[in-house]
Amino acid sequence: MNQVAIVAGGEAKAGRRAASWRELVQEAGKALFEDVNNLAPKDVDSLFVGAAQPERFAFQSYVAPLVAEHLGIIPRKVIARTELACVSGQAAIRYAWNCVASGMSDIAVAIGVEKMYQPDMAEAQTTMTCVLDREWDGINCFSAPPIFAVTAQRHMYEFGTTQEQMALVSVKNHHYSSLNPIAHLRKEVTIEDVLKSPVVAPPLHLFDCCPMTDGSAGIILVRAEEAKKYTDTPMHLIGSGQCAIGNAVNNLASLTDWVPLRRAAEEAWRTAKISKDDVDIAEVHDCFTISEIMEYEGLGFCEKGRGGKFIEDGEPYIGGKVAVNPSGGIMGCGHPLGATSIYHTFELLKQFRGDVDQGRYVKGAEIGIQHSLSGAANQHSILVCSREPR
Amino acid sequence: MSKVKVEKIKRPEKIGLPFMLDFYPLQDEKYTRISQFFKNLKDGHLTTTKCEKCKEVLWPPRIICPHCHTEDLKWIDLGTEGEVHAFTEITLGAPLGFVEDTPFCTGIVQIGGLLISARIDDVRYEDLKIGDKVRLKIVELPDQRVFFRFSKSKNE
Ligand SMILES: [Zn+2]
Repeated sequence: MNQVAIVAGGEAKAGRRAASWRELVQEAGKALFEDVNNLAPKDVDSLFVGAAQPERFAFQSYVAPLVAEHLGIIPRKVIARTELACVSGQAAIRYAWNCVASGMSDIAVAIGVEKMYQPDMAEAQTTMTCVLDREWDGINCFSAPPIFAVTAQRHMYEFGTTQEQMALVSVKNHHYSSLNPIAHLRKEVTIEDVLKSPVVAPPLHLFDCCPMTDGSAGIILVRAEEAKKYTDTPMHLIGSGQCAIGNAVNNLASLTDWVPLRRAAEEAWRTAKISKDDVDIAEVHDCFTISEIMEYEGLGFCEKGRGGKFIEDGEPYIGGKVAVNPSGGIMGCGHPLGATSIYHTFELLKQFRGDVDQGRYVKGAEIGIQHSLSGAANQHSILVCSREPR
Repeated sequence: MSKVKVEKIKRPEKIGLPFMLDFYPLQDEKYTRISQFFKNLKDGHLTTTKCEKCKEVLWPPRIICPHCHTEDLKWIDLGTEGEVHAFTEITLGAPLGFVEDTPFCTGIVQIGGLLISARIDDVRYEDLKIGDKVRLKIVELPDQRVFFRFSKSKNE
């Protein structure tokens, strides 16, 4: 198997954008090819497009060839759209990685896009309520906010986690996103702001939730030995883990202990030959404040049930035990489903390059992870990236 | 250059809830092999399938056992009494077809050894707690399709 590196990234400004689905992907694509030396769209032989729900959000199927046409790419090895709800973007990266690692592809692009802001938000909510088992859980209005609301309620019930502790995640991530020019939300919030924001699905308030965001981001993957042809600062893919257990609410391993996350993490550390203590930056899936708290636990950064205390002690800030979401996370940057994982993978590359605001720069970082989850948190995916080849 | 005049055209002003945005499944035996589940509901019983081979109780109802792949399943009655495992309330962000019902509670109910999601009627969020007893409620749509919910027991 070939070692694989990421040599470039490009992204559209995330937010409530005056731009259509295809315009978002064109913005990210242009930025992507401006970020790389000696490589043009015609050199790309494989293309993977992360897109969760274009049929509903943009009334468009068959999006991979549409993206290829708009970016001037003529795939001649592998082309496909990848769909794994909120992890569609990481799914695209994993396919691209596999193609380059196996030798099937020389130069692969993974690009994600989602246009989520709609004139009729009830229709957008309808769209997202078919992610969970529509006939048995969606029908009871279990979309993302309700499933994470009951998760938060049980976590509070079983471990004594408080709303103030959850609010601290929002405070941290909005702080970092205020320093990130591509982020959707660039205003700081206080614990008070979070607790006084409108209730979305109790116990979750508006600022416990990520926003509805339009966006697109892409990366280019090549064999590590060739990476320096295209950039002075490649990032190396050194390990990964992915695990899915059950789907319907009844068949989750547990509401309050994300077993698939623990298994994905074990596999990620094993394949990267690192331990959790080697992680300098963790870009994790903070779709809701409770998610990030449970990720501190599931990734092993703290003991089970102690995630609330972990942020109270400032451990996930830069300078603490591990820098969690120095980009501002999904909470601050936004969550354009198919693009999210790719934005946060590019964030790791920018961190390694030192190409971020000093206020959110993790100096000397060597190892970063990008974690995404989907559905009722029954599926977790982790990529391990390093500044130097290993 | 000559200019072309814009002509107005007509479209229907309103479209009903399209079939493909309807959360309720088709229930008739013409459309599904678990129509028995809905027949049982119509008769007042919440049921599911149990594997005769490995004895697992399966939810949602199946046509094969995911554990041993046998088709040898039987219908069992889950009873009418459940216990609230977790819940929330839908206020903002309800999907089409449910907006008119807000606010309403939805949650996870423990019944017959299962943890199934269901709407919990006749109660507001503030008045419900984990561990509360709830009883089965069966609702029928105008087109005769049925579904189950739970209701906060009055006789507590
Ligand atoms: Zn069986």
